[in-house]
Amino acid sequence: MSDLDLFLYPKNRLGEADLDLASSLQGLVEKEVMDKRLELKEDYKELLAPMMKRLFVDIGLQKMLWPENLGGDEHNQPEAAYTIASAIEQIARADTGLAFLAAHSLALQASLALEGNLNQELCDSIAPLFCEGDKPVIVSFILPTYSEEEGPEWRGKYLQVEAAGGADGYVLNGKGIRPSCCGVDAALFGALCSVKGEEEPAFILVPGDASGIKRGEEFKKTGLAASRNADVVFAEVKVPAVNLAFKGDEGIRRLLSWYYLGLSAAGVGSLLACYEIIKEWGDNRVIKGRGQIFKENPLTAALMAQIAQDIAVDRMLTYNLAGMLAEPEAYGDAGSEAVFVSSTMIVHHIYTTAEWIIHRVMELMASAGYAKEWQLERYWRDVKTVQCYLGASEIAKFDIARWFYQCQTL
Amino acid sequence: MRTIDDFSRPIEYLTPLGENIGEIFRGWVEKEVIPFRREFDEDWKDHSLILPPFKKLLGEYGIQRMLFPEDLGGWGLGHSDFLSVAAFRMFEEVARADSGMAVAFGVVFWPLLFIACEPHVNRRLCEEFAPMFCETTEPVFSALAMTEPQGGADIENVERLGGSTIQTTAVQDGDEWVINGHKLWPTNTGGVADLLAVVCTTDPASNDRNNIAIIFVPTDIPGVSQGDAYEKAGMAADKNGDIWFENVRVPLWYRALGPGGDSIYFGEVMSLGHMGTIAFTVGVLMNIYEKLLEFVNTKMFKGRPIKENDAVAGVLADFAATIEASRIIGYQCARMCDRPDLYGPRWTPEVVAKARAHRYFVADRGLEAIGKVMNLMEAYGADRDWDVEKHWRDIKMCQLWMGGKQLCQMEVARWFYECETL
Repeated sequence: MSDLDLFLYPKNRLGEADLDLASSLQGLVEKEVMDKRLELKEDYKELLAPMMKRLFVDIGLQKMLWPENLGGDEHNQPEAAYTIASAIEQIARADTGLAFLAAHSLALQASLALEGNLNQELCDSIAPLFCEGDKPVIVSFILPTYSEEEGPEWRGKYLQVEAAGGADGYVLNGKGIRPSCCGVDAALFGALCSVKGEEEPAFILVPGDASGIKRGEEFKKTGLAASRNADVVFAEVKVPAVNLAFKGDEGIRRLLSWYYLGLSAAGVGSLLACYEIIKEWGDNRVIKGRGQIFKENPLTAALMAQIAQDIAVDRMLTYNLAGMLAEPEAYGDAGSEAVFVSSTMIVHHIYTTAEWIIHRVMELMASAGYAKEWQLERYWRDVKTVQCYLGASEIAKFDIARWFYQCQTL
Repeated sequence: MRTIDDFSRPIEYLTPLGENIGEIFRGWVEKEVIPFRREFDEDWKDHSLILPPFKKLLGEYGIQRMLFPEDLGGWGLGHSDFLSVAAFRMFEEVARADSGMAVAFGVVFWPLLFIACEPHVNRRLCEEFAPMFCETTEPVFSALAMTEPQGGADIENVERLGGSTIQTTAVQDGDEWVINGHKLWPTNTGGVADLLAVVCTTDPASNDRNNIAIIFVPTDIPGVSQGDAYEKAGMAADKNGDIWFENVRVPLWYRALGPGGDSIYFGEVMSLGHMGTIAFTVGVLMNIYEKLLEFVNTKMFKGRPIKENDAVAGVLADFAATIEASRIIGYQCARMCDRPDLYGPRWTPEVVAKARAHRYFVADRGLEAIGKVMNLMEAYGADRDWDVEKHWRDIKMCQLWMGGKQLCQMEVARWFYECETL
């Protein structure tokens, strides 16, 4: 039994192909990332960019859900939720940032190509970008955020892009836009926009090479080296009407529900890696000068137990969320408020506990916890960065409160 | 507009000298450190940005002379009854800009506590080392070499282990000590330190505290070698590395305070280290408050500055409360260290345990509060340009140094509950 299998999850829900994929990914990332990172650290060109190609192009994550006749694998039944969770978990075990990017790509695919929600016209237009090239297609979202200027809002935060137009196409404008990832490298932006003259926001796809996109310099941030982020400007960026992915809350919620599944799995995968690190530490470290093995001390054992307990629960929650998305007939569509709120609760819970867990592991390992040599600190920085990009949990609580308490003015 | 100076301090503990120095430090960080600190992480190996402000502070302003007696060119703070409160203010101001610099700065004085503080001044060693610090305008760094590869926090755990795990040996040979061993992690190593205080044993495996020896070793003598600085998650201004001692010879009188004295006053070094850690944390919290204030005043949610949202205000209030309480605890800890007549000597297990309790309470609450602030700031919380994430990375290390969390808990439990076997 692998150490990772100690954390039970509903394995029976995964198909043989899911298990094979997870197993292949586990072997791949161990060989190509984990074995090399002591030497290559977080080198983008030498380590992370080649892995993006392996994962997205060679393994085929970027074409997993697109229709077969467009070059995809058409793994587009709701059960793909399990595939996504188990795949991203394995990637995150090696690098949270790579998993973060995979979560973007797979959420977009799920929201556009899933059986029952298939947007054929848009798939025809966009899928070739993912399925025909030999380069990884990096997807970035532009979601509402705080603003220094008033403007159109979505749930209290401000839409960063304004679209004008309609049947003849859209013209997009926005300045100082902070994308969710990869402002430097994104090949496709998915922007939640206000639309002039319309009440509802729209999610519009913008190819990264569209005229009028200006990318700033990569800014420094806490973690997620795989995501070279920069603020961007949209100046009269024109896209065809077909690039409108969806309008209104339901589509946005559906996208975010799938996105939160990916992020949850990324959190759990990172935690499994942290478990492996503290396991090794606990097995081998001797303390108190009396030959006591670290894990045999009651204080440290109790804390390590709490760490394992929280990881186990986080993993169960993630697969539970996958189950909700995999069985819309039982739980409702991913775009329903019920599923969206559940996914919001789960992802925020996971990142809150993940922060707690990794802090405790660091404390157990003292200076080795923050020395790059031991690798733990990268998960600490990466997980915190994902949590920041996920958004303020205090604000997310308003969605939860609205749902459970029918608040009217939040 | 509120500022960091609106947070409370116990005014009755403050001294004119400490306050004047505090103002000087504030001016120094505003001009020499804050404008450059966002590049410090990439400067971790070279210190080409980090060293110049240290030269000004330590060398040109002469702060490195602070502890030595006045007749030796120092400022005589080692003889005062306000050293800790003054140090708290200085550390707080430096950490407001960069807690890595604050640690490196504080550790300049850490080993010197053994020889320059009343009531255990070692006049001969002060005379020996004062010129190194007082007769130059170049910065001079010290380090306290404790941790060893096999021991982790065992070295700091003097009360329980009595030095029995120390493997760095000091053997008397005529009128010299011959030192052999390997140390890890001291602040200001990685090629920085000019003077080391090395925790040795004169009788390996003995738990007789008389055999714990603190011996001063200049780094430029034969047999001392320093490895490269470690790469860490942050705190670039604090270089840490390996140090090897191979038949290093120093005079017998380079031992700080002799059998018994070295281990007794090791407790003083611990107490003041904890006090310093609180000050570093409070300095960081104060700067984050400044950044947060700007953020919540300018960023809007639902048409109003986000500070006007009740739920957000709850987080902001918790953060302010953390600073308010931490600062008061810190000054109280400093006062406790300054006034043995009121609180007992600062090297006793009682004061060490209380200082540990103060330190880990503040460090834990501080980190928790900073984590919530980063989350509230969303993507900007992880953005170097807002400075909060750097403080978060740096101050985590302060939480973990000097034995980490579990050792703190054991010492606190041992004293408050009179545990016998922990």
